[in-house]
Amino acid sequence: MLEMQNVVKIYRTDLIETHALRDFNLRVAEGEFVAVTGPSGSGKTTFLNVAGLLEGFESGTYRLDGKNIGELDDDARSRTRNQKIGFIFQSFNLIPDLDVFDNIDVPLRYRGFSAIDRRRRIIRVLEMVGLASRAKHVPAQLSGGQQQRVAIARALAGEPRFLLADEPTGNLDSLMARQIMDLLEEINARGTTVVMVTHDPELAHRAHRNVHVMDGQVTDFLTLELSRGAGPLPAGLPAAAGRAAHGRPDPIIA
Amino acid sequence: MEIRPILSAMMRNRSGMVLVGLQIAITLAVAVNAAFIIQQRMEKIGRPSGVDAANLFYVASYGYSPGYDSKAALVNDMAVIRRMPGVVAASSINSLPMSGGGSSNTYQPSADPKAAKIPGNYFEISEDGLKSLGVKLVAGRNFKSDEMTYNGLDNFFPKQLMMSSTMARAVFGDDRAVGKLVYDGTGAVAEVIGVTEDMLGSWVDAKHPKNIVFHPVLQNGPRMTYVVRAEPGKRDEVMMAVEKTLRRPGAGRFIVWVRSQDHYTELSYRADHRMVVFLWTLIVLMVSVTALGVVGLATFLVNARRKQIGTRRAIGARRVDILRYFMIENGLLTIIGVAAGAALSFVFSYWLSNAFELPPLKLSFVLWGIMVLLVLGQIAVFIPARRAAAIPPAVATRTV
Amino acid sequence: MFRYYCRLALMSMQRTPAITALMVAAIAVGIAVCTITLTVYHLMSANPIQDRNDVLYAVTLDSWDPERPWDESRPTLAPSELTYRDATAILAAGRADRTAIMRKAGFTLESSPAIKPFLVEARLTTGDFFPMFAVPFEYGGGWDRNADRDAPPVVVLSKKTNDTAFGGQNSVGKIIKLDSREYRVIGVLKNWEPTPKFYDLNNGHYDSIEDVYVPFALGARLQLQPSGNVNCWKPEGINGFAQFLNSECIWNQVWVELSAPQKLAQFQDYLNGYVMHEKSLGRFPRPLNNHLYTAKQWLDVNEVVAKDNRVLMGLAFMFLAVCVLNVIGLLLAKFLGLAKVTALRRALGASRRQLFEQHLVEVGMIGLTGGVLGLALAALGLLGLRRLYENYDRLTHLDLAVALLALAISVAAGAIAGIYPAWRVCRVPPSTYLRT
Repeated sequence: MLEMQNVVKIYRTDLIETHALRDFNLRVAEGEFVAVTGPSGSGKTTFLNVAGLLEGFESGTYRLDGKNIGELDDDARSRTRNQKIGFIFQSFNLIPDLDVFDNIDVPLRYRGFSAIDRRRRIIRVLEMVGLASRAKHVPAQLSGGQQQRVAIARALAGEPRFLLADEPTGNLDSLMARQIMDLLEEINARGTTVVMVTHDPELAHRAHRNVHVMDGQVTDFLTLELSRGAGPLPAGLPAAAGRAAHGRPDPIIA
Repeated sequence: MEIRPILSAMMRNRSGMVLVGLQIAITLAVAVNAAFIIQQRMEKIGRPSGVDAANLFYVASYGYSPGYDSKAALVNDMAVIRRMPGVVAASSINSLPMSGGGSSNTYQPSADPKAAKIPGNYFEISEDGLKSLGVKLVAGRNFKSDEMTYNGLDNFFPKQLMMSSTMARAVFGDDRAVGKLVYDGTGAVAEVIGVTEDMLGSWVDAKHPKNIVFHPVLQNGPRMTYVVRAEPGKRDEVMMAVEKTLRRPGAGRFIVWVRSQDHYTELSYRADHRMVVFLWTLIVLMVSVTALGVVGLATFLVNARRKQIGTRRAIGARRVDILRYFMIENGLLTIIGVAAGAALSFVFSYWLSNAFELPPLKLSFVLWGIMVLLVLGQIAVFIPARRAAAIPPAVATRTV
Repeated sequence: MFRYYCRLALMSMQRTPAITALMVAAIAVGIAVCTITLTVYHLMSANPIQDRNDVLYAVTLDSWDPERPWDESRPTLAPSELTYRDATAILAAGRADRTAIMRKAGFTLESSPAIKPFLVEARLTTGDFFPMFAVPFEYGGGWDRNADRDAPPVVVLSKKTNDTAFGGQNSVGKIIKLDSREYRVIGVLKNWEPTPKFYDLNNGHYDSIEDVYVPFALGARLQLQPSGNVNCWKPEGINGFAQFLNSECIWNQVWVELSAPQKLAQFQDYLNGYVMHEKSLGRFPRPLNNHLYTAKQWLDVNEVVAKDNRVLMGLAFMFLAVCVLNVIGLLLAKFLGLAKVTALRRALGASRRQLFEQHLVEVGMIGLTGGVLGLALAALGLLGLRRLYENYDRLTHLDLAVALLALAISVAAGAIAGIYPAWRVCRVPPSTYLRT
């Protein structure tokens, strides 16, 4: 449902021109759980921004859920983000002056749902992430893990086509990180597509497949079995490629 | 309209809002009361004078030579002045309307010593006096030349007099005044022969400035004042001509000054003008400072909320949604501020009217003030709000 | 440490030039408005005879109408002037150390044929007037008690009159004519501008002093008509000047000098006794209501400071309050915006108190800068006022006392504005701002 072809993104300042994405190609089918990995500076943040319609791109095509994104104006992009994408940020990005209920409410208001409808959805997603009792608390009263769960609830409330997560466990300890990943897997199991940008190989390992990005391009594909440790890897493919989240992939080892 | 969440967020991070809210409240209270005082003063300054002010001027003469015959001088001067081109009428007069100086007496409707004593500001004029001042008769008749007497320290209550409509009403109520007798309490009595239109008397700040009485008395003595009415538009040239003609050497007197009614009127209202200018300046300064406060707060909030704005955009807000957020937030803040300010306005007005005997505030001023501040507040926040709307959604993913 | 704080403050102010400029401007405008209204108020309410305030007293007796008080809105107030009969009686009794009875008149003055005759305002008074009110003389002096009795035709000229009539020369001994009668000049005053004109507030609080001064008794002898306020309540049927002098009309002002507190009590007793005696003759129908006012009290009673100015003073301070609120907001924005730097200092060892002091020094400097700028603006404003309104001339000089007060207010305003923001930024644990 997400298809990028030959996408090029260039950042221009007075002095420098940076090709952040060059000839970027990616396809994500509905229901997939894809991890996008790569070292810092590889372009994965740019990919995130472009995939999430946070930024435009210079050339190439991007089709999301059948629609060609390149033709949309700013307002239409906002609407698309609102309706089709659920964002999860590394630093949670909750609004500090609003309580949990109102935080989740934000995208729903932009959607134009009625008050009753919004309330129903918020309660539903809060129960889904297990924080129904904290509806009136402000982010400062929650732990990191709880805040991220609220962020996930916020992302889910509008029933988006896919979740776009940016280092969702980057600011969490290992226990909370595992809880968040369990939650994401559960959400994915229920049918929501998840695209996760990360540089943690353990996390990447939990996705269905990894997409490795380097120098603005996708370097190789490796699809893992749906469950871990399903058997020997197909011959001819680089070993431990799924763990190659940092630096260059290991040379092909026979 | 996301009023509730905006209010919740405002309540949780109050300090900047409280400061601006207080500024708005104080500014409304002060501006509204100041505007009210301004209106009062403008009304006072704009009161019709009742005389033909634009065309009136006065001449003050002082006869210094020993044995100066002021009676003959008066007859002569009047003849000379009345003959001059551009002069409508002239008369001797004891004091000038709206000049701060004059004479007053009390007048009673009956000889009973317990009768009400009505204060009246009296002007001593000849039979040409009303025409010279430009005051019209509404009932009865004008003075006749054989009714004229000369002024002096002696018992001065005349046998006939005219009064303004306001004075007539004060002394006689709704009864017809013409033909009635009025007493001065010493036993002297005068007949009211005429009632005139209203006119402002010597003191613009008097409690009853339109209680005017006219006595048929000619000026007598070394000091004399004349009132002269010129044809419309000709006042200045007639003033110069009269001064030149009367200032003859060897007449045994000198012309102290020749001044227009406007000169005195302007002096009389000078304090009120000053107050109006001060108050206007204060209103403008206060509103400007508060507007700058609003702009400052909005700018601060936009900067402090940069990440939040990017996030909102990321999760679906359009530019106009961000703009609306700030406009609504500012609107709510202004509403709270003006609500407090409205209450403060009345408190302030109550104190002003008690301490300084000013009339109490009218609601319409408060309503106007609220509207003006609401509009100004929205205008002030517009530019920072626009800048907020321009923050790109990519800010949400930046880690800086 | 203080000098270090000053240096830090300057650097901090330079780092955020726009916010600093706005804060200084806000305080400057607020201080300017307050200074202007303060100046006018201060000069209006000044007591020009402050040094002699404790020994001089204005005398009032309530000889007014039994049916109506002198001032309907203040029924216990006695009239501000006395009858001729009462004024001369008090003078004759001589119970005070010095007594000045006086009233106004008008003359034409002729000095030399070269100079056109001109109208002058005259004050008829007793000789004690000059030492009582510390009237400064350029040449010559006033007259003595004998002259009060004999009323010789002598005259004291004001500086302005002397300049016009004699070109400013020493004219003592020269002869001038007032209403064609000859008077000998015995004194010329220096420039004397009591603001307000406390000794006679009946016609304009800020009028200039009179042009000539002559002995009081000449008024009766020459039957000089009074100018100034004449008020009569009693329907007496006055025919002729003699009856006028004896009437209940009030047109004279009386001041006495009593150099010790017990003399005050004694004089009060004398006054009461006098009025009781007059009551037995059928005068003074109203209840006993004699008052002695010091100059300060006299100014208050006569409401010399216009109500308008009091209102403006209050409004000016409210404006300053709005400006201070504005500055608090700006400071909050600035300090919280620079919270990282403060947090860094804390991490490097500064105590909360030291940081608080550092921030206070900065706001104090902002206040002081705003105050100085505000004074400059106020001086400009007062100049403009003087242009607009000539008779405000004597009320628009920037007084040193007011200027110092304004500077003190500006520093205080800055400090008040800064306390809350400084406290806020020093309170938060440094880790909050040092985290990325």
